[in-house]
Amino acid sequence: MVLRIRLARFGNKHNPFFNIIVAQARSARGAKPLEVIGTYNPIPKRPTNLYNENADARPYKEIALDSSRAKYWLGVGAQPSDPVWKLMGMAGLVAPKPTTHDKA
Amino acid sequence: MAPRVQTRVSNSLLPYLTSTSSISSLPSSSSSQCFSRQFSVTAAPQTKLRRQMFEWLSTEGAELKHHIPGETNYVTRIKDGPMSATRPFPNNPNFVSESILSEELRNEVYNRVVEEKKSVRAVSMDLGIDMKRIAAVVRLVELEKRQREQGKHLALPYARAIHEMVPTTPLAEAGERQTYHEPINDLPAHPLTGAQIFYPVSESRPFNRVEAGRVFSSAPALEQHEAAEISHPSDLAEKVIENPKIIGWVGKGKNAREILQPADVRIPHPHMVALERDRMAHPNERRAVAERQTQRLERQDAAEQQRRDRAQARREKKLQTFTPEKSRFEYRIRETTYTEQTTGSDGRAPWAAGRRYGVPHRDRTRGEVKIPTRVEA
Amino acid sequence: MRNRATNTLSKGKIRQSWSKYNLYNLQQFRSPPTTNRTFFQQKWSAKAVSRAYHGEQVGEGQWKRMFNHRIRSVIPMNTSDLAADDGSLFSSGRGSGLDKEGKPAFQARPTPYTSMAFAPLERRLDVAIFRALFASSARQARQFVIHGAVTVNGQKMRHPSYLLNPGDLFQVEPDRVLFATGTPKTKLERREGRLAQRKEPEAEEATEAEQVEAEPTETPNTKETLKGLLSQAKTIMSTDKDTLPAKRKQELRGFQKAVRRVLSRSESSNVLTDNLEAQFSQLTLLLNAKRSEKKQPKDTKKDKQLSEEDTPATDAATDAAASDKLSEAFAQATLGEEVDASELSDEEFDTLRRALTQMRDNPIDNTKPYATPWRPRDYMSAFAFIPRYLEVNQNICAAVYLRHPVARPGSAEVPTPFGESIATPAYGWYLRRRW
Repeated sequence: MVLRIRLARFGNKHNPFFNIIVAQARSARGAKPLEVIGTYNPIPKRPTNLYNENADARPYKEIALDSSRAKYWLGVGAQPSDPVWKLMGMAGLVAPKPTTHDKA
Repeated sequence: MAPRVQTRVSNSLLPYLTSTSSISSLPSSSSSQCFSRQFSVTAAPQTKLRRQMFEWLSTEGAELKHHIPGETNYVTRIKDGPMSATRPFPNNPNFVSESILSEELRNEVYNRVVEEKKSVRAVSMDLGIDMKRIAAVVRLVELEKRQREQGKHLALPYARAIHEMVPTTPLAEAGERQTYHEPINDLPAHPLTGAQIFYPVSESRPFNRVEAGRVFSSAPALEQHEAAEISHPSDLAEKVIENPKIIGWVGKGKNAREILQPADVRIPHPHMVALERDRMAHPNERRAVAERQTQRLERQDAAEQQRRDRAQARREKKLQTFTPEKSRFEYRIRETTYTEQTTGSDGRAPWAAGRRYGVPHRDRTRGEVKIPTRVEA
Repeated sequence: MRNRATNTLSKGKIRQSWSKYNLYNLQQFRSPPTTNRTFFQQKWSAKAVSRAYHGEQVGEGQWKRMFNHRIRSVIPMNTSDLAADDGSLFSSGRGSGLDKEGKPAFQARPTPYTSMAFAPLERRLDVAIFRALFASSARQARQFVIHGAVTVNGQKMRHPSYLLNPGDLFQVEPDRVLFATGTPKTKLERREGRLAQRKEPEAEEATEAEQVEAEPTETPNTKETLKGLLSQAKTIMSTDKDTLPAKRKQELRGFQKAVRRVLSRSESSNVLTDNLEAQFSQLTLLLNAKRSEKKQPKDTKKDKQLSEEDTPATDAATDAAASDKLSEAFAQATLGEEVDASELSDEEFDTLRRALTQMRDNPIDNTKPYATPWRPRDYMSAFAFIPRYLEVNQNICAAVYLRHPVARPGSAEVPTPFGESIATPAYGWYLRRRW
């Protein structure tokens, strides 16, 4: 059985919210995972116009991640799914996944 | 509810309700209006009262219709004369309409803090404005400047009118002393001090504010030598500013709380007490006293700045931002730890981060507050 | 939610509103009688009367959940008193301070705690907007929030029951505030507004053609123009309350026209648009230039004050640079036909300038939902006060909720029209838990 680090969708219709979880690859999306190691909110938040430095700030998405647990699970062979790979790449835990364009 | 229904039911009332504005401007016409409804059969209990009201508005109340620039114009003016100019409510003597900052004073605050880079504490003491208010003024003036730059629509006539109606604290002319806007050393009444405690003390030792605070928070009395070290409660203030952790704790676990500190520590400007004491002790050394005060202020500012910097560094260490080249977005990655302490022994404690498993949703439950409780600035 | 906040005269209830009915009720109000009434009845009527004012838009259950018997208070400390004594004076003698000539050593005015019974409601966003004088009633403030005209800390907040935290900055759209606090339009003005809106698309095309035509046709005597301008400015500046708005409008329109005429004659300025902002800056520049040319040594201080006062955009550097060119232009425009500029005194310049400022800040615009030029609505001043726990910037219609309201010796910060005789039984009503 393969361990995967993947997203589990929560939230309501049009209002997604994800837990970053470690689970058996064949388990259901909503099933109880081995461990929750983070969260990801894909709804971008807009910086307020209250301060000068925010003038050209981009909207941002929030990620919370326990990097030490993530490293452990990667170390024992858990495989991140593509979206999680992207997020972990940003956190500097894994090398960014080569795209099909790069392979060719 | 009565008048609303009546407007629909009885047509006889209609001319009244539609011509309200004409009545208000021409009170004499109200009598002629009465004639027009003499054939009406329906009872109109409002009529007499309305007539009385418009009568009052045209006689005594006429003064209130327009404001007098530079003066308040409250109901109490009519009753008690201009002496009670600051009380808007005739029945409530405990509420006074307090002055607001004038435009010039507001800009002066901004200049001193932003341009001259003075500390908020110093400006607060110079102008007699609460430190929170100074912070707010700086924020608001900055926002105003930006909106002016962006060419946004401003409510300038409105602002002028309000400043004419409400009492204002003016900025002192050059050379004059600035009138204080508000008391700056407000001591919040601590809930612990609400209790009445019978506490016998021996007459051989003085019982001061430090010890009273300990009694209120039911901490053991100070040892003799500890008490002897503190000649005046304001000595504690400087120590606490340098290291807030020296305040002791009482109680265990959930009930643990800090020992109540004397007023000298808890007021917003504790160094002012030290200054007063210094003045009393050395009445003839003005310059030396002033110098010591500036040193004291610098020390306090430095300590506070250090604390702020440390907190900022801690926050930044936990937050990492990543901006992909091709993306419109920025990703903010917050470092968290999921341990037994943060998620509970079964991993689903109510304070655990992330959405939890096996816990029923309460979002449709009655009485559950779903509106946000705070907005990040 | 149904609006029960009608200002009926028969009930005589006081509401959070600026209406004249409410004003009449406020001055007419008498405390409910207490003789021959049980404590329960007294508390009931006190509660009923004060709830009609405080949080009338909030359900009773919700309010009861918000109520807190603990009342925040502060004591303003005197630093010299603190320095003089370490507290042992209070505890000396029998523990209540040594007597001075038979009087207690420390006397303080009583703190009106019970006037603060409804303090938790002042945290609500809609109430705070009303308190900051951004809306003419709490109900209207509530509507502004629901309609999305309010931001908290820069983010749109659509919940009127949002409880502000200390340090929160809330802002209302200035147009809404002007609408809420300004005189309402008359029937005629509403009609004009409709017409103006209908015409707008047509007008845009027409303006360009008009401008070309307008330039050569008008060539009256400049001296007369200047004089006319001045007299109109004076009438504008005279703050006579009895002048009818229509008449004032005529004056303002005439003034606007005259300004345009002067500008069209000065050759350097190409500003012939309806853009008031541009017109204003041009004319102030002209005036400044003229002024500096005429009286340099005298009245420099006054001059500085003035320029700071109303033209933040024009700083000294640009003034100096522009003055040479513009003074020439002004001379050409106004003095070309031998008009003596020194006829205008300093005072007259000030009037002109102030009239210009007013015209720029407060223009006639029929498309606005309030009567223009903006005037405060009737009876507004009787309700105009801003409590200390708010810091308001009226220019941008933003305010900061500094802290929770507090009581202090002799005064309470929660604005309430009721005295001790109502506040105390009302507080007592909610002290006992009846649910």
